[in-house]
Amino acid sequence: MTPGADNREFPEGAAIRPDGMPRRDFVKLLGASIALAGLDGCIREPDQKILPYIDGNNGVIPGVAQHYATSMTIDGFATGLIVESHEGRPTKIEGNPDHPASLGAAGVFEQAAVLQLYDPHRARRVTAGGRATTSQAALAAFAPAALANRVGATGAGLRLLLEPTSSPLTSAWLDRVRERYPSSRVYFHAPLQSAAQLDASRQTFGAPLLPRYDFTQADVVVALDADLLASGPFHLRYARDFSTRRQRPPRAELYVAECSPSPTGNVADNRLAASPTVIARLLASLLSTVAADPRTAARAIAVDHSASTLALSEAEKAWVSSAAGALLRAGARGVVVAGERLPVECHVAAHALNAMLGAAGQTVVYNASPIVGAGEPSHDIMALQADLASGDVDTLVILQGNPCYAAPGNVPLATQIKAIRNTLYLGMYDNETARASTWHIPAAHFLEAWGDSCACDGTESMVQPLIAPLYDGRTNDEILSVLAGAPDTAHALLRQNWQRRYSHVGDIGAAWTDAIQRGLVMGTQPPVTTNVRADAVVPAHRALIASAQAAPSAGTIDAVFAPSRAVYDGRFADNAWLQELPDPITKLTWDNAALLSPRSAQQLGVTSGDVVEVSVGNQSLRIPALVVPGHADGVTSLAIGYGRTGAEAIARGVGVNVNALRTSVAPHAAIGGRIRGTGDHVELAVTQGHWTLEGREDSVLGITPPPAPSDTTPASSQPRKRRPLTLYEPPAPSSAGFGADQWAMVIDLDQCTGCSACVVACQAENNVPVVGKDGVLASREMHWLRIDRYLSGPPETPSFDTQPMLCQHCEKAPCEYVCPVDATVHSDDGLNEMVYNRCVGTRFCSNNCPYKVRRFNWFDYNDELTPVEQMVKNPQVTVRERGVMEKCTFCVQRVRHAQRDADLAGAPHTGPVQTACQQTCPSQAIVFGSLTAPDSEVAKLSNDPRAFSALAEEGTVPRVRYLSRKRNAGA
Amino acid sequence: MPALFSRRATPLARSVLLAACAAVVAVPSFAMGWVRTPWARGEHRHITQPVPFDHRVHVTGLRIDCRFCHSGVETTAQAGLPPTQICVSCHQRLWLSLPPMSAVRHSVEMNQPIAWQRVNQLPDFVYFDHAMHVNKGVGCETCHGRVDETGDVTQAAPLTMGWCVSCHRDPAPHLRPLDAITTQGYQPAPGTSGTALMAAYHVRRLTNCTTCHR
Repeated sequence: MTPGADNREFPEGAAIRPDGMPRRDFVKLLGASIALAGLDGCIREPDQKILPYIDGNNGVIPGVAQHYATSMTIDGFATGLIVESHEGRPTKIEGNPDHPASLGAAGVFEQAAVLQLYDPHRARRVTAGGRATTSQAALAAFAPAALANRVGATGAGLRLLLEPTSSPLTSAWLDRVRERYPSSRVYFHAPLQSAAQLDASRQTFGAPLLPRYDFTQADVVVALDADLLASGPFHLRYARDFSTRRQRPPRAELYVAECSPSPTGNVADNRLAASPTVIARLLASLLSTVAADPRTAARAIAVDHSASTLALSEAEKAWVSSAAGALLRAGARGVVVAGERLPVECHVAAHALNAMLGAAGQTVVYNASPIVGAGEPSHDIMALQADLASGDVDTLVILQGNPCYAAPGNVPLATQIKAIRNTLYLGMYDNETARASTWHIPAAHFLEAWGDSCACDGTESMVQPLIAPLYDGRTNDEILSVLAGAPDTAHALLRQNWQRRYSHVGDIGAAWTDAIQRGLVMGTQPPVTTNVRADAVVPAHRALIASAQAAPSAGTIDAVFAPSRAVYDGRFADNAWLQELPDPITKLTWDNAALLSPRSAQQLGVTSGDVVEVSVGNQSLRIPALVVPGHADGVTSLAIGYGRTGAEAIARGVGVNVNALRTSVAPHAAIGGRIRGTGDHVELAVTQGHWTLEGREDSVLGITPPPAPSDTTPASSQPRKRRPLTLYEPPAPSSAGFGADQWAMVIDLDQCTGCSACVVACQAENNVPVVGKDGVLASREMHWLRIDRYLSGPPETPSFDTQPMLCQHCEKAPCEYVCPVDATVHSDDGLNEMVYNRCVGTRFCSNNCPYKVRRFNWFDYNDELTPVEQMVKNPQVTVRERGVMEKCTFCVQRVRHAQRDADLAGAPHTGPVQTACQQTCPSQAIVFGSLTAPDSEVAKLSNDPRAFSALAEEGTVPRVRYLSRKRNAGA
Repeated sequence: MPALFSRRATPLARSVLLAACAAVVAVPSFAMGWVRTPWARGEHRHITQPVPFDHRVHVTGLRIDCRFCHSGVETTAQAGLPPTQICVSCHQRLWLSLPPMSAVRHSVEMNQPIAWQRVNQLPDFVYFDHAMHVNKGVGCETCHGRVDETGDVTQAAPLTMGWCVSCHRDPAPHLRPLDAITTQGYQPAPGTSGTALMAAYHVRRLTNCTTCHR
């Protein structure tokens, strides 16, 4: 019988397991791996070449980092930065201590921006109709010679669409374009921008002004849906100011009412979960209560008196009465902050409250907005849509942003843009807008660009490049200069504009050098004196009461659209550091979700990961639900910025695009939507699923539940013992080697908001890889520093605690005992050292670590990096390979560098060392230093009555000590 | 019936078995011995450089100080190779047109750096600092050998961790006064004590891992 396919007893492949690798192959591979393991060490390193400079006089000393000042602009507002550069490649972004919006801190977006510079998915080619062309050809089509033929001599067919900008240079060139084409029109669009703030100040004060707060002087802060400590253009400064204020007794009180828990809510003394309706109700009754009080009689403002008819729940009543009481006690040292995206009437109410308290001019000052054309119709997306629909547009020039993705669902901008004959898009990515445009020119990253911009308070900030454009990117100003018929480089444009604007300055060269060195031009706008218009508040109050009384019809849910704390409005969606950054509250990575309160979820019958269908009007979408204790009932929060469909490989397909549910009328909140479960379930990559401490608050957070009501002292006023009971004497600090210093860290949990800037700082400084969604689902995330978040109290009104958790550098480190190859050992100066080149990957250390801070390289995460991606790596830190354990080193490269500098200078003590997390912390919650240094701050703090060691009962004697949270009495 | 195996089969089988047993010991022994030899470590391996630069001429003949070309050695981690301009500053009117200097000429004319071959190569996880050594009494010669006597510079020291650590454990015998750092063929003056130099230069025994590995 001939063997054939039909009569074989076993079909081909029957021995192969369905999951891929046959057992025999597995055994063969296993054997071969063991046999060949030793040969790994026999490979000689490839020969290296050394390429010295041709001319050494270029200011670069090989191996020595350089620092330059620049600024990053988000939605028109600049934050000053200092960027570290190694031999011409920027590697690390830090805050500019001189800059008023930074004060030395940098947020998550600023720090992660350096990864985007080297993003391999950035657009590299100039395209015309999808085909590659040259930038000369593309620009020639928009030079006056060609453009005037199409759009007419006066530019009647020319439209420009920009992101909101405060740049004096861009403003000047927009004027030049308007001069050349008087009939052209300019529009501005940013998905998260709200006109309400400026409309409100125009109604209240008669001018479009921006409020700016001085929390260093505030005794009481009431924040309504305002995440003032972790988002918004001035949040780094606010976080610093508020933390400075909190360190000074009497302790400042923070009252927060918000829809979705936020870092600001984390540090609140009195937090209330409030839907948009409830926030209107709270503000309306707060306004009446404060207006009715005799203490504000001197500055009384007419309000609507029907607010007493509002039916407040017990919790709302309690919140309003304690917040109003505190505000009235504080008077001018109290301040009310309304969230940027709240409706107009809320802002008017906040202005009125601040005016009545006397806070205006004290804790809150007002400035003209530095944004070009702020508050004008040019910022209205409906005006743009109507204009495009009129059909008179021949040429549309879109300078950055991604309007085709981010436009609200009822504005068919993408279709309209596609229909225009000539569209030029300047953008960093081949994204949704680039695909709808005829021409696409790659934009320069801000680290490649010359320019300027203004901070929220009007401080003029310089943008200077750290590197020549990698992909021949252009800036907005360069394109505008082409349109105006005077093309030049951004640097030349900036210099010319500078010459023109500062022609009155004597030594203009010196002024330029000074501005470039510092990153800003000194001298800010003086605040504007404001008077509340007599007729402004009553209508707003009435509107508030009306929206507060709008009873939700049964079965409806409100949807609140918020910026993603990872990808903002989608512009950072291709940034893997940010995608993998756990949300400060939900700990969600690589996704967005419909956040629901436990009660709402229960009513719907869904749990985290269950896919729900959210509909608003006739639009609906399917998105996984995520249950968040402390979220407001009857409302769901949706983060925008996900569900991208462009060519960005990291961003594509991550999360759900919720812009479809937004409308131009209510872009930030949709009232009266519907939600239902679908029966589907997906896995959400959440890094911390467990919320409670199961009664171990004392051990982990140093608090005894329930929190002891006291003003400045913690539950126990006795200093906690630094060492557990032991038979052995603590080892005397050795004076040999590095032993003169004893490094330690203190983290003040009272200052920590959980904003996660430190996590990104650590990632950038220490070459920490990302593992992707699958990796996070397998709990293989690599962050050396994570922020644990715990809840206590009932799930409806929980109190939040955040705790940065990193290697504790235990004096009696459990990891060290169990390493069979001595790959983790202790240094003379108290560091728990991790020696990658010794590590064989047994993972015993990680198993024995009670803090679970050790991270294992399951794969070679750096293996497939392109040469451009490799440029982001810090050359002072080893890039780890597969099979190696890693963890926080206390930024040992910075420690050793400071020791070396002190040693070479003959200084008796090592100078101050800042770890990356400490350097960037906006609220200065982290203090690092040597316990033995003279006047050591860290030594003082670690003996503070609030100081405790996490899991002290383990007897590990950590070198990281935490300061337990303070609670305000009665707040 | 003739014998199935020949007469020589048994001794052959025995010797094969014996050889196999010996190989189990000998091959690893040889491998472990080999990596301990200078050849395995790349010492004295001839490396062809793009410019046939002769240290003998410059150091012994012209008495140019090491730091004239390796200018970063006292202040930075890297000693540094000279920018082309440093070569040209002397060679502008001297030998620049001759064939051995073609790479230098090319560098100047084309504005391209000279691609020197690295001679002393440390693994990427080692952070060595030249400034720290030369300011603490470790002479150039201690690691780089007698460059004044060699035409082609080759790796003069093992550059193994054992070699590094032997000095880090006991630096005293390897120290010299700071004024003799660049001296070739240094002989300690009578009365010079390594221990005294250690005290004078605050030299410590640094054997913590993170001294070099970060």
